[in-house]
Amino acid sequence: MTDPVRLAESDALHARSLAFVRAFERGAPAAEPFDALAVDIARFQARHVAGYARLCAARGVAPERIRSAAEAPAVPTDAFKAATVFAFPRDQARVTFRTSGTTIGARGAHPMRITSTYDAAALAFGRAMLAPDLEPPMPVLVVGPSPEHAPDSSLAHMCATFAQAWGGGAWFLRDGELDVEGLRRRIAELDARRPAVILATSLALAHLADLAASLPLPGASRVMQTGGFKGRTREVDAAELRRAVARLFAVDERHVVSEYGMTELSSQFWEGSLSRAATPPGVYLEPTWARVVPVHPETLAPVPDGEVGIARIEDLANVDSAFAVLAADLVRRVSGGFELLGRAPGAAPRGCSIAVDEMLGGR
Amino acid sequence: MRTVDERVRELRRLLEAARRVYEKRHELVPSLARTTGLSPQGVLLGFESLERDATDAQLRALVESAGDAAHVHVILSANVFVGALRALAFARAAAARVTIRPSPRDPILTEALVDAANDPGVLLTSERDPRESDADRIDVYGGAAAIEQVRERARPGVSVRAHGPGLGVAFVTRAADPADAAPWLAEDVVVFDQRGCLSPRVVLVEGDAARAERFAGALHASLDEWAVRVPRGTLAEEERAEARRWQEALAFAGRTWSGSQHAVGLGERLLVPPTGRHVQVLPAADALRASELLAPIAGAIVTMGSDDPEQVRHVAPPHARLATLGQMQRPPLDGPVDRRPT
Repeated sequence: MTDPVRLAESDALHARSLAFVRAFERGAPAAEPFDALAVDIARFQARHVAGYARLCAARGVAPERIRSAAEAPAVPTDAFKAATVFAFPRDQARVTFRTSGTTIGARGAHPMRITSTYDAAALAFGRAMLAPDLEPPMPVLVVGPSPEHAPDSSLAHMCATFAQAWGGGAWFLRDGELDVEGLRRRIAELDARRPAVILATSLALAHLADLAASLPLPGASRVMQTGGFKGRTREVDAAELRRAVARLFAVDERHVVSEYGMTELSSQFWEGSLSRAATPPGVYLEPTWARVVPVHPETLAPVPDGEVGIARIEDLANVDSAFAVLAADLVRRVSGGFELLGRAPGAAPRGCSIAVDEMLGGR
Repeated sequence: MRTVDERVRELRRLLEAARRVYEKRHELVPSLARTTGLSPQGVLLGFESLERDATDAQLRALVESAGDAAHVHVILSANVFVGALRALAFARAAAARVTIRPSPRDPILTEALVDAANDPGVLLTSERDPRESDADRIDVYGGAAAIEQVRERARPGVSVRAHGPGLGVAFVTRAADPADAAPWLAEDVVVFDQRGCLSPRVVLVEGDAARAERFAGALHASLDEWAVRVPRGTLAEEERAEARRWQEALAFAGRTWSGSQHAVGLGERLLVPPTGRHVQVLPAADALRASELLAPIAGAIVTMGSDDPEQVRHVAPPHARLATLGQMQRPPLDGPVDRRPT
């Protein structure tokens, strides 16, 4: 049953979240503190997501007494497999993103009632991190499934959003097969004066590097890589893969930029090596509307800067699901950002790369 | 070729050796506690699962399932220390010559058994590389990665029998009183701190959510009592971290009961808990619903316990062993523990 008050409340929170994104695009400070919106979202979720109310109760947290983002309990990504994590009537879901399957077959679900906040957040930060100096139109070549082939993939949705906003896209993974010749033909057709953007998972890029010796892109083109290899049929050293990808597409290594995102979130994180010259590869930056806090894996309390913890991710764009998400990834705060250090031992492998590998018959 | 009777006699000699090792188990407790991470009481409880006897029919069944080989090389993992006996028996039933490489982390019981058996057909080895063995069959026990590595490195023509990771599941039928069934299940959980592939980690309670909740509460109380009698051993940092994440997820999805050395979670969707005395309880309206809930993990289920093992036959995957609650960790010595296709 539709609850107009609840939906109006959600709409208002989305508008405030979107204001963070727009302020970022203008280079202006946000209209309100991060914690102010975080507290309101957490309380909203405690009122309308039954599981979150239970989690708060189990942790002895009274939602109305939450005074800062840090006080809001984080929802483990596994909860997206074991329960519904959304604050609206089921029939209001516009899209449902699902995580890759794991060894036990369970897939997490992240339904969204509104995708415009997700899209705006992805575009604003993606553009700033991957192509701050480029002006659309720029052709987008996706080495991954299209949204038509993978309607429940948040990565496919994000890539399609970029393609639509930046000048049209083409997809080169169909029915589990990399379309290397199609990609080669499309690259040959590109205007040499106009940089292109490749969007791909690390695993797809590794497969591509095995199958093709050279696919030179126009100068100043960019490559986004995302996802890891954990638990998959092959693993490639990150620096080695970056070199191989740069060689394959004849681009500067600085123009190969890693993205870190997950189905359970509405925001992404990017390496700052292109957008901020002093940032070394492997250091990820956060948008102004999201934070990554390394926490102790047992106490869930923040660890000091420089120490490794598991990622507690606070995402103001996750209005209708979980503002704070507890991932299974190990992270460490470093100057200006954070490093991603792989999966916590014992945790079930997860990642968009895995879904692509399954399509490629890697299992 | 040895006859079935000769093989059964050799297995009986092995069981005699197991009895001798069992008799001096108190001497082995300190070193086994160090290598297994179990508490001393946990080691003693684990010894109760060491096979020390079997009927002729059971041993004949074991011989029949073991196949034939000239030389079997056994590679063991460190998960359940008494597993060495069955692995040895399975190999010895198949071959006149057996070499066995215990886990370097946990070699004690294997060494004790081989020593007590004094069988010229069985030899301990520390050789790690399967290419260096001249066996015509390798029995490997361990994780998927270890098994894959052995398959890749085995010499051409060598048959590899893999015994991979799995788990136990229990089904409490409508006929059982949840409060009566829970203490039996608790014992199955506590043995080996749930690190074995027979250890139950998921319990389906036939009936409504209230019955499942009663069972979960009773299981929590039983596990609290066990924590005093048989304290849990040490958990690795990553096991503790995984346990915390699982408890947070179940607190969101349903309800948790946390003790100092265990946790029980109630939820309507399957979220397999980590080892170390963690159990998920789910309500299942009937056997059909139970099968649906278990479908994603059916291939991983090694055993299924129940108050009524005959009734559970309709719920369990065909390969799974069936056991009465409280006996899940003590299957008869009639073949490999894990009956999934190798």
